[in-house]
Amino acid sequence: MVILEKQTNVRKTWGDIMKKELPGNVSSSVKRMDIFEKLHILTDAAKYDVACTSSGVERRGDGINMGNCEKAGICHSFSADGRCVSLLKILFTNECIYDCKYCVNRSSNDVVRATFTPEEICRLTMDFYRRNYIEGLFLSSGILKNPDYTMELIYTAIYKLRTEYHFRGYIHVKAIPGASPELIQKVGFLADRMSVNLELPTKESLHRLAPHKSRENILKPMRYVQNRMNENKEELALYRHAPKFVPAGQSTQMIVGATPETDYQIMRVSEALYEKFGLKRVFYSAFVNVNEDKALPMQREQGPPLLREHRLYQADWLLRYYKFKVDELLNEKNPNFNIFMDPKCNWAVQHLERFPVEINTADYNTLLRVPGIGYLSAGRIVKARKMGKVDFVDLKKMGVVLKRALYFITCNGKMLYPTRMEQDYIVRNLLDAKEKLPDSVRNMNYQQLSLFDDGGQGVWLHGQENLYLS
Amino acid sequence: MVKRIYICHDTKEGLFSALYDAWKECRETGEAGIAFYGSLESELFCEYVETIPNSKKANAVEQMIWKNMGKEAYGRIYQASKSMDSGKGTAIFQTMVAARKIKQSDKIMDHLTNPAVKKVHDLSRTVGNEELFFKEILRFRELKNGILYARIEPKHRIVEGIAPHFEGRLPMENWMIYDAVHQEFAVHEAGKRWILVSDVPIDGELLKDVSESEGEIQRLWKQFFHDISIKERESDIRQKRMLPLKYRKNMVEFE
Repeated sequence: MVILEKQTNVRKTWGDIMKKELPGNVSSSVKRMDIFEKLHILTDAAKYDVACTSSGVERRGDGINMGNCEKAGICHSFSADGRCVSLLKILFTNECIYDCKYCVNRSSNDVVRATFTPEEICRLTMDFYRRNYIEGLFLSSGILKNPDYTMELIYTAIYKLRTEYHFRGYIHVKAIPGASPELIQKVGFLADRMSVNLELPTKESLHRLAPHKSRENILKPMRYVQNRMNENKEELALYRHAPKFVPAGQSTQMIVGATPETDYQIMRVSEALYEKFGLKRVFYSAFVNVNEDKALPMQREQGPPLLREHRLYQADWLLRYYKFKVDELLNEKNPNFNIFMDPKCNWAVQHLERFPVEINTADYNTLLRVPGIGYLSAGRIVKARKMGKVDFVDLKKMGVVLKRALYFITCNGKMLYPTRMEQDYIVRNLLDAKEKLPDSVRNMNYQQLSLFDDGGQGVWLHGQENLYLS
Repeated sequence: MVKRIYICHDTKEGLFSALYDAWKECRETGEAGIAFYGSLESELFCEYVETIPNSKKANAVEQMIWKNMGKEAYGRIYQASKSMDSGKGTAIFQTMVAARKIKQSDKIMDHLTNPAVKKVHDLSRTVGNEELFFKEILRFRELKNGILYARIEPKHRIVEGIAPHFEGRLPMENWMIYDAVHQEFAVHEAGKRWILVSDVPIDGELLKDVSESEGEIQRLWKQFFHDISIKERESDIRQKRMLPLKYRKNMVEFE
């Protein structure tokens, strides 16, 4: 608690803070900033973190204290980049002893530094939450002094929020790599979700771009949280009211496009994280170049590799909901996703020998693999065909996208149109049907893509053939 | 026999009273419809009957739906009755008639091939989606007297649907939600259950008078909202698709 005394000048109201604001420019280390400035700096520094979900935990109000949580999560607004705003996403401090090349807060950058006090974080959260601006708090931080010290600061803030302010809303906290297990455990009992950022897919890249971080230090807290969550499940089975440890699970994020890894490598890592570490989500963050650094690829003309990010998310869904394995989607020879076609269609046109499948007899897992049939509509089909034969008209009502599915299915032995089961023919027609891309990547047309977009590989993969349409 | 159309006011009591009358007289034939004052479309070969609203009648119908058609159907029908669609009354009545004809009346909501059931289902989903949406975008402001006040302009009557959510969330706050389109209030006094109030004249001036710290917190929020966007990824189209302009009217960050 020594930390607290040094850090906080507890000021009770925002009004007081405004009055105490010092005029003129005082040197940055001793400058007492007002809350506006701090919020500005520490939001700006936190925005590159992708996760802003408030899902995964259902907590009813207790009739006295403020806050409840909805299982599906709630987005409260959408910022100018179209991303949802669900949590108050801020850093505790943007001071950092590490010098990660891609990070805007790295120690060698000359940016204005600021640090919140736990009191300020609590008041901001409560004031925003009370007005229904946010669903809770997302607290991350630069590394101040050392990992343990930083984790302790985070702990102090959310301890105060949970026990003094009795906040029952959602809290997402970063576990700091290298922090001691005891601290992580303490934090985990207060937070709903924890995450440690993997940052980069391979050890080598991490070593090159984030020399102060090590793969071991990142995976250690992840493993610890996983084990502790499993133990907690047993505790909860025994004692229903035992405190919950990270009830909404843990997530992580990787930067895409800053290093030469292929999509195959990235997806392999994701698969391992889902299977071996029991992660809830892996997020992908298209690399945005904020620092001029010779170790980083140049900022591409058309901005961050958003299409590549989109393809990775699509494949991520295939892993989590559609029972695909990475090795089915990609391999050493074709290590990157087709930029013209989504991974599921791409897989299907390469495995035409398995199609068409009969809607009325195919099992659920086979239906899942048909392009145009999502896991919800696959479930509906299985339910509906118990009552009677399913036809194309019914499929449409169930939400199946027929313009994609029609090449791969039969209903009662008939296809929708006479269709040639040839790869070229189907690919051409699927591309004509135009995929619905997110608006952010839709602005680029195919011509642009084939000329300039190397699938987000930056400068390393010159001349490598990434596209396969045959 | 000529089809009978029962006319009522678009209130809970009015609608359920009309359902009562229709059920009493036409449940065998199913040849009846329900129309609302203000959205009457005359049909040929119809007999128009005005309903006298009465809470006893309304309660009887509610009880009957609850008992015979089950909790799920009741929830759907109730939610559909909050819709502004003028065909809702007829759809609900036809759903009740259809439920009467099947063996397991409580499974009626699974019969989506019946157009009336489908309509009730769709209406309930539309209303439910709007409720979800307003749980997200509703914004409270603190008035001088410490009361949290939110103004919303929804298409359907959703105040009743969202109030329980905020009661769970802000149990010890005095708050009220004002639906400016349908002139309904949900009022919650700290520590008590919320109540629905309508037809009360409001003092517009009182609602404009915000507390001292309100402006500052709104500025902080706007600042945060501005800073959280990544410039390199900005896309107006995407933002508009996720959050259409018509919903932004009462949101602090878009003022």
